[in-house]
Amino acid sequence: MLAKIRRIAQVLFLLFFIYLFIKARYPYEPLIDSDLFLRFSPLIPLFDFIKNLHISLLFWPALIIIVLTLFFGRFFCGWICPLGAVLDLTSKILKPPSNQTSRKWRKLRYLKFAVLSGMVILAIFSIHVWSYLDPLSIFNRVLTIVIYPLATLLAENTLLGITYIPFLEDGSYFIFDNFKMFLMPENQAHYQQLFGIALFFGIILGLEKVSRRFWCRYLCPAGAWLGLLSQFRFLERIVGDTCPDCDKCQIECKMNAIPEGDVKQTDKVECIECFNCAESCPPKIKAITYRWRWKPYHTPIDFKRRQFMQTTLGSFLALGLINLGLSNREKKDRLIRPPGAVPEEQFLDRCIRCLECVRICESNGACLQPDQIHTSVLELWLPVAVMREGYCEYNCNLCGQVCPTDAILPLTLEQKQKTPMGLAYFDKNVCIPFAQNQDCIVCEEHCPTPEKAIKFDIKEIILEDGSAKKVKYPYVVKDLCIGCGICETKCPLQGAPGIFVTIENQKRISDNELIS
Amino acid sequence: MKRRKFIKTTAAGAVGVSVLPLLLKNVDGLLADTNYPRAVWVENGEPAQLLQTALKEIGGMKRFVSKGDVVVIKPNIGWDRAPQFAATTNPDLVAELVKECLNAGARTVKVFDRTCNTPRRCYQNSQIEKKAKAAGAEVLQIRDNRFKKTAIKGKVIKNWPIYKDYLEADKVINVPIAKHHSLSRVTLGLKNLMGVMGGNRGEIHNNFAQKLVDITSTILPTLTIIDAYRILTDNGPVGGNLAHVKLCKTLIASPCTVSADYLALELFGHQIKDVQHIAEAAKRGLNKYDLQSLNVKRIKLS
Repeated sequence: MLAKIRRIAQVLFLLFFIYLFIKARYPYEPLIDSDLFLRFSPLIPLFDFIKNLHISLLFWPALIIIVLTLFFGRFFCGWICPLGAVLDLTSKILKPPSNQTSRKWRKLRYLKFAVLSGMVILAIFSIHVWSYLDPLSIFNRVLTIVIYPLATLLAENTLLGITYIPFLEDGSYFIFDNFKMFLMPENQAHYQQLFGIALFFGIILGLEKVSRRFWCRYLCPAGAWLGLLSQFRFLERIVGDTCPDCDKCQIECKMNAIPEGDVKQTDKVECIECFNCAESCPPKIKAITYRWRWKPYHTPIDFKRRQFMQTTLGSFLALGLINLGLSNREKKDRLIRPPGAVPEEQFLDRCIRCLECVRICESNGACLQPDQIHTSVLELWLPVAVMREGYCEYNCNLCGQVCPTDAILPLTLEQKQKTPMGLAYFDKNVCIPFAQNQDCIVCEEHCPTPEKAIKFDIKEIILEDGSAKKVKYPYVVKDLCIGCGICETKCPLQGAPGIFVTIENQKRISDNELIS
Repeated sequence: MKRRKFIKTTAAGAVGVSVLPLLLKNVDGLLADTNYPRAVWVENGEPAQLLQTALKEIGGMKRFVSKGDVVVIKPNIGWDRAPQFAATTNPDLVAELVKECLNAGARTVKVFDRTCNTPRRCYQNSQIEKKAKAAGAEVLQIRDNRFKKTAIKGKVIKNWPIYKDYLEADKVINVPIAKHHSLSRVTLGLKNLMGVMGGNRGEIHNNFAQKLVDITSTILPTLTIIDAYRILTDNGPVGGNLAHVKLCKTLIASPCTVSADYLALELFGHQIKDVQHIAEAAKRGLNKYDLQSLNVKRIKLS
């Protein structure tokens, strides 16, 4: 019974996550903020606290989870986490081995604690890498970069393909138009870093073949954190005297939280309250029940002192390596962050790489992409504006509105239109008027500021045959340019553009500036 | 009846039957052209009112749209701007035009434009999507797979992708808004037709006059209605500054795009020689009527 309710809840939460994801688009008129579910991630308040030494109420959903976990245990993993739900679905296909067969992996339990403590140590020294392994971030990232574009590709091309069959043409276009209107209005998205993000997710799913919920049992730092908090849990699994020690529940347990040889015990740190054990208990016996019982006892955590020391040592090594790399200034040239992004150092700490901003940007100017590593590994999967592919829409400020951690501050439209992301420069070697003495000024045409930031100079040139010709030579006015990059996107050259945006003149905004 | 006479009569009859329609058609054409002005200039009214007056003077929508026609209305929806910025065609005008077409018996009225900013933003913020739909039009986004490579007998351009729905329409009504444009000086009827062109439109920008006239010569519309209710006098074609918007409350209609464009130059105080692409169009004879002796009906509403 409880297991059935749990399954329904899992599906509903997964659908809710996807619903919020799909609603993150222009026109953005949310009933519920799109970033709400992302703020459920229990890791965010922990690392936010380490960074700022105060508890931010912005993350109230996660705080509720944390408080409830103190008494109810790891229910988040079993009931709410969309990544967990997807892993459960995957296991239906991959058919993971039983707990007896996969017994040898049990010793890896310490890994998730090692991951968590390593990240805490790094965070104390102001290196925030935890978000790469945050389950909600992982899921949102893969939805944005892989699953949604893939679904668009399949659905659009199937429907458009059918239109070539004569008698199905009208019907198919009808479905296509409605589909484009309501479900997937965005154009086909193409992202850099697609392969890395897909592989990362693929491995997490693939590990399901090694054991059930491999990720949750052995790797997930959120699971480790909630496990640590579960010590006072008072919803207990009670095994009655009729239990014949058939070990069925032990073998079936998703998390391997029932100790071998003592099925009456429950490992509170591991149990995610899926209630499968009562279901697996043979029908004539049904010895397992769940009851409220306030009897705090300690479940040992599988993290030995030796392992902790090793982790600490490893973390310090990583800390050194991350800090020691050469931060080549030249490579920062094109690291254009979304408008309203906090200063880069804070941005690295605060951004959880969920790519919700990239998602909503796709339905607008589509400039945001997951970043690659330029000089520091921490740049991986931050949002970066790639303006040859898309530009920042002048009348759009949505990326700041959907950022769950305010790494991109929610600027008003007016503020955003006055916040330069960068500055445009002409490459006169390739720009058509300079290279060929021909009119073009497509960049000037598209420039959206009320007074154009690209102006032009009309010069007369003498052609080969001695005749004169007037040509318009464009230039950028620094004080007017907001670095939106539409000039770079629309430059009609085939490859490298004749005008491009760099981080020069970019304005980063810190929290206190927003209030004024 | 004698055989000879039979042959004569039949021959005469046959000639009569085949020539008469041609004669009638000519007469009809002559009548149509003489009865109606070549262009109408209406000012001092609201968009719907301006359109009603202009259509009445030019022979009614029934002159252009027949029963069962598929009509394409091509406004300027190119930019993510609200109507008061005068970067996109007036939505009330478009809506009224949709109603007129449907009243004249059109089967379907399609409204679309290939936008420069994000399509959904432009369709929404210009208010054209909402108002044209309410008036009964099909307002659809451009589908990338529906551009058809079309042969162009141009000086520079030999083929260009043109939107299929535009090519397949029975009648086309071009509804540009009159705006400043830094490359072509103004954007009017001819320039507005770039909204049905596919491909890399930026490439049209060098040697603009030649290339634009090349392509538009193949795709001239049935009727051109220039929206000059608000015009953009500077910082075009995007605008964004209300100081550059001038309320003219004017509308120009003509079956000839070049004539309409030629007339609209008055709004900006330009001479045709200042505006290369319109001058080029006239030079190549894209105009249906003689621009120097254009019969224009001018009306000032009170």
